[in-house]
Amino acid sequence: MSDYSLDSIDAKLGEMLTNSSHMFDLSMNCLLGDTNLDTVKENLYSTDKTINELHRDVRRELIVHSAVNSRNLDVPLLLAYMTMSKDIERIGDYCKNIFEIAETGNSFAKEAEELDYFISLRDQISGFIVSLQTCLSLDEEDKVQELIASGAEVGKEIDEKITSLLENKLEVKYPVATTLFYRYLKRVNLHIVNAATAIIMPTDQIDYIDE
Amino acid sequence: MKKRPVLNILLATFFLYFFLVSIKLLEKGIKTLGAEYTDQLFQSVSSPFAGLLVGTLATVLVQSSSVTTATIVGLVGSGFLNLEYAIPMVMGANIGTTVTNTLVSFGHVRREQEFKRAFAASTMHDFFNLMAVLALFPLQLATGFLTKMSIYATDAIIATGFTATKPNSPIKAAIKSGANFVVDFLSRIPFIDNLYQNSYRIYAGLLIFLAILFIFLSLKNIVSNMKSLMLNRIEFGLDRALAKGGGVVAIIIGIFITFSVQSSSITTSILVPIVGSGILAIENAFPITLGANIGTTITAVLASFAVETSDGLTIALCHVFFNLISVIVIYPIKPLREIPIKLATALSNATAKRKFVAILYVLITFVLLPLLGIVLFN
Repeated sequence: MSDYSLDSIDAKLGEMLTNSSHMFDLSMNCLLGDTNLDTVKENLYSTDKTINELHRDVRRELIVHSAVNSRNLDVPLLLAYMTMSKDIERIGDYCKNIFEIAETGNSFAKEAEELDYFISLRDQISGFIVSLQTCLSLDEEDKVQELIASGAEVGKEIDEKITSLLENKLEVKYPVATTLFYRYLKRVNLHIVNAATAIIMPTDQIDYIDE
Repeated sequence: MKKRPVLNILLATFFLYFFLVSIKLLEKGIKTLGAEYTDQLFQSVSSPFAGLLVGTLATVLVQSSSVTTATIVGLVGSGFLNLEYAIPMVMGANIGTTVTNTLVSFGHVRREQEFKRAFAASTMHDFFNLMAVLALFPLQLATGFLTKMSIYATDAIIATGFTATKPNSPIKAAIKSGANFVVDFLSRIPFIDNLYQNSYRIYAGLLIFLAILFIFLSLKNIVSNMKSLMLNRIEFGLDRALAKGGGVVAIIIGIFITFSVQSSSITTSILVPIVGSGILAIENAFPITLGANIGTTITAVLASFAVETSDGLTIALCHVFFNLISVIVIYPIKPLREIPIKLATALSNATAKRKFVAILYVLITFVLLPLLGIVLFN
């Protein structure tokens, strides 16, 4: 089997992650900091378009690879690439959703109590994107397992927050925006974890870390 | 360099040598039959039309125009076939070779839209080759332009003193000693030696059969080893084709891929799922297919190095000129190059809802018509 397109696909997934990381930082800074929304909006949306184009490139290269290597095709690997690229592409979409919370006039910058926690979540999830990029290039199972475990932990934490908000046990200044924010953050985190599962898990187990 | 590519290079080189030895064996087998007997056999292909259809049917049966054209080179080189009948056979081989990718398109039969695109991508090659034959075959019959051009080019190449064309060249000597080794080996088998002593025609028939089998096997192995060796470059080439669209670049990519793997069917069959999935438009796949037509002609040129007479090179060059001229005449003129694409699209639209039409098309075009034609024209 040839390595050309697989290397190229790895490079494109890496590029998608770099762009996703950029989008995540931008959108989070818009909501948690005092970034001028107008100055970053165009950058954010054009970066998302770049991610989408890279996603389509990955699909095209997978088809070419499967056509050329039809006799020795590693089908599970191609399915893993397919699902991984989809997960990474979704990160950008949720970053846009986070930005839209800020765009509707909600700003968490003055929410002193929760802000520190939001910032710690931002740093953790941002770190996960970087870790995923490292996992993709190094293919080290221990690091991937570590990422999945940490991601699952953060996911549970966010879930608890959402439940508290839904049960009115948590008092916040912007309940709807905060709930949506946690929800989007949970999705970003989950897509990172799902992409990580695609690196090491059997095809039928990809995305199912709890079962 | 990794171990596997080295092995691929060694195997491809060995099978290339074995391929040339097989052509030489074919020549030896035919010479063993004797001129009187071969003349009788030759009369069985008594019209250029029959030759065209024999070329088509033979290629459909072996699923490789390279096997057919290399065999034709061997037959011409040994004096069994003359150029008048060999040229239509080579044209027929071009038509027959398109059946492989048409069969590949049936892999997409479960998804209607995908099948439509895949079937169109495969049959545009059929229509282009049919169109080329319709345009150039009557012209060849009327003027013999291909024969004249090829003889002129052969003389020009020989005049340059190119080693492979010299009767006493080291290449020819190496091929001859390989063929002699196989013949000696066979003569040590009592049954075959007995045939040689008592029934030389059956012995010659066996030699011809083995030679064609060896041509088939060696080409199969050259293709698989070259494909393994060139996979990265094939993918790179196709990615370039996807990025650049159609045009001359795509023709060059088609030539390069086919030249590398020694099989137009590999190139065109790779294109079918790519077009089927919708990521490459049929219009952009078309020039790659035309490049494959040109690239595949190298096999016959290689085969001509094994035969003694210059006629072998002439028929190989005929194959080159036929495919080159058809591309030069048809591709630059938009209304002309659209004909095969439009016909293929119309046929694929008709077959999408009624899959049996596709099966009928393959059976009629590649089996029934050639068979019927051979009977009628003989």
